[in-house]
Amino acid sequence: MQASGTKLALGIYTTLFLVFLYGPMVVLAILSFQTGPEGGPQFPIIEWSTYWYKHLFGLTPPTRIAPLPIEEALVRSLLLAVMTMIVSTVLGVTSAQAFRKKFTGSGFAFYLIVLGMMVPGVLVGLGMALVANALGVDRHWWGTTFVLHVVYTYPFAFLVMLAILNRFDQNVEEASWSLGVSPVKTFRKVTFPLIFPGVLSAMLFAFTLSYDEFSRTLFASGRDLTLPLAIYGTFSVEVHPNVFAFGVLTTLFSFALLGTYAALMMLSIRRARRVAIQEEA
Amino acid sequence: MSDGRAGSQPCFARPTPVFARVHFREVSAMIYDLELYKIGKVYDNGTPAVIDFNLSVNKGEFIAFLGPSGCGKTTTLRMIAGFESISSGNMMVKGVRINDMRPADRPTSMIFQNYALFPHMTVRRNVGYGLEVKGMAKVERDAKVDRMLSTLGLDDIAEKKTDRLSGGQRQRIALARGLVVEPDILLLDEPLGALDANLRKAIQNELKLLQRTLGITFVFVTHAQSEALALSDRIVVMNQGRVEQISPPHQLYTRPNTPFVARFIGRNTIFQGAVRGVEDGRIIVDTPFGTLAGGANGDMSLGAAVNVVIPAEAMEVHTLNRTMRDTISRQSGGNVIDAKVNRFDVVGHISHLSVELPDGRAIALEAHIDKYPPGVFPAGSDVLLAWQPGQATVIPAT
Repeated sequence: MQASGTKLALGIYTTLFLVFLYGPMVVLAILSFQTGPEGGPQFPIIEWSTYWYKHLFGLTPPTRIAPLPIEEALVRSLLLAVMTMIVSTVLGVTSAQAFRKKFTGSGFAFYLIVLGMMVPGVLVGLGMALVANALGVDRHWWGTTFVLHVVYTYPFAFLVMLAILNRFDQNVEEASWSLGVSPVKTFRKVTFPLIFPGVLSAMLFAFTLSYDEFSRTLFASGRDLTLPLAIYGTFSVEVHPNVFAFGVLTTLFSFALLGTYAALMMLSIRRARRVAIQEEA
Repeated sequence: MSDGRAGSQPCFARPTPVFARVHFREVSAMIYDLELYKIGKVYDNGTPAVIDFNLSVNKGEFIAFLGPSGCGKTTTLRMIAGFESISSGNMMVKGVRINDMRPADRPTSMIFQNYALFPHMTVRRNVGYGLEVKGMAKVERDAKVDRMLSTLGLDDIAEKKTDRLSGGQRQRIALARGLVVEPDILLLDEPLGALDANLRKAIQNELKLLQRTLGITFVFVTHAQSEALALSDRIVVMNQGRVEQISPPHQLYTRPNTPFVARFIGRNTIFQGAVRGVEDGRIIVDTPFGTLAGGANGDMSLGAAVNVVIPAEAMEVHTLNRTMRDTISRQSGGNVIDAKVNRFDVVGHISHLSVELPDGRAIALEAHIDKYPPGVFPAGSDVLLAWQPGQATVIPAT
């Protein structure tokens, strides 16, 4: 009796969870198939069509609704995310490696790093803008914004790597040293291949966090907008379902990214085996 | 506590300072494989982990570090490997000081309890790893790896990944990997600890055979007495960071140096007393159970507090008999004690006997049923325990 009650409660909870998680996305996806150009971003669906997808790529006859000004912003955001991903992951891996041994001030350094993800983004963005002004530095997405993105995503990469290295068996490294292999070579040949799945996770974190970062970017970027800013900019005029169509496409892109991540994971697991077989041949 | 081969050394054979030894060696060409001179380890928080560890190991010797957990045996091994820094003292391999060498530069290889294999490599790559990174040519490397794989019976699984193999196979792989780089000294940190009892016995024998065949010096850390006794040429017994005794296995039994060793090794009964005198080369000791005699191990003055140590194997049980008592006492040099039988069981062909001493201590004894036939000592009966003075050891109480 009690068990079935619990089951029911858990079932309701899970359903609600899924509704709240996917509801907005589903609504967005449905509305993106609204007819155009006269159909608006609301129910009911007047007629199903792929008009707004075509509109997104400039494949529709021109109307009073301007195409989304996102082309350059998309490229910028992707570049920024890749740059941030590389720098944050390198920083995260090396500093987490350093934290495996206690050193003077390691506790302080830990909180200093983690602070980057704790402080409110709007404030840091504003602060960066003020500092840039005071120093007479121009604000750019590849400058001030990039620094803020690294400050923000580096703690995530760092924490991921810290967790991975925490579970890492120190004896495996020691075994390598005692076989006459220097610490640097040991890191390359043993440690890194073993923590590589963690490195991939850190990269994924850094990339996605940077890709849709808004609050820090708002104040710290200059004239040239990143993707989230560009999309937000279109809201201030009038919302059309073309934004939803774009949302669906970016979501698909994210899934593609996750798929790549999974594929790379599989590859890293199989690679060692294949190398061994090749060596045999 | 004694340095080197226990007891037998005269008292002037104190550890010589290292510089003097180095000089001496130039003359005599006598080089130890491994030398620890006054090695000490103090942790950052000030706790001493190892205190004044002295040891000289000959080439091809099998040394075991034995002691309860936390006694400093693993710390010492890790200092030899270079994983832990040395706080004081000197450490040398073949006469070369290795105190400040990186682990990678030391002529040692370490075997771990958890095997520490490289999970992303096949068995063959694991074993060939050390040679590969050193840049040995593939043909030469393959030949060496193949030889080592077949020595350890790993040919069949050479191309397998390590994660699906048994504990015994994994430890053989670790051994092959550590030995193929031809270290001067192989360090083994409880290598059989993760294996089940039967496998442990089997690998124990293989290990011994391997060590004899290759002639490499082994330093083996264990908390299992039976392992140390079965495998090693000499055992270093450690307790609370200090070396208690360094002896061949049988001497730990017959001639313990300290009360700790007497309690830790074998099944000894210990009687406390004070030295009364010397008679026929034996020390006579007054104890609450009467006057007992035994061979001396260590310096003891008249009236000094001492322990009389008697191995369980040395104790003879006699039915208490007024007329025989004097004869038995005379035959065993006065070493007799009254006791009462608690239990007498026969399991297979072994008689198990539990007797209680006047002070309430219980002693477990066992013998073949031919010696103690079923029913010979009924529970509750009074018996006489006797032993030969030569089998008892008298050691200082502290």
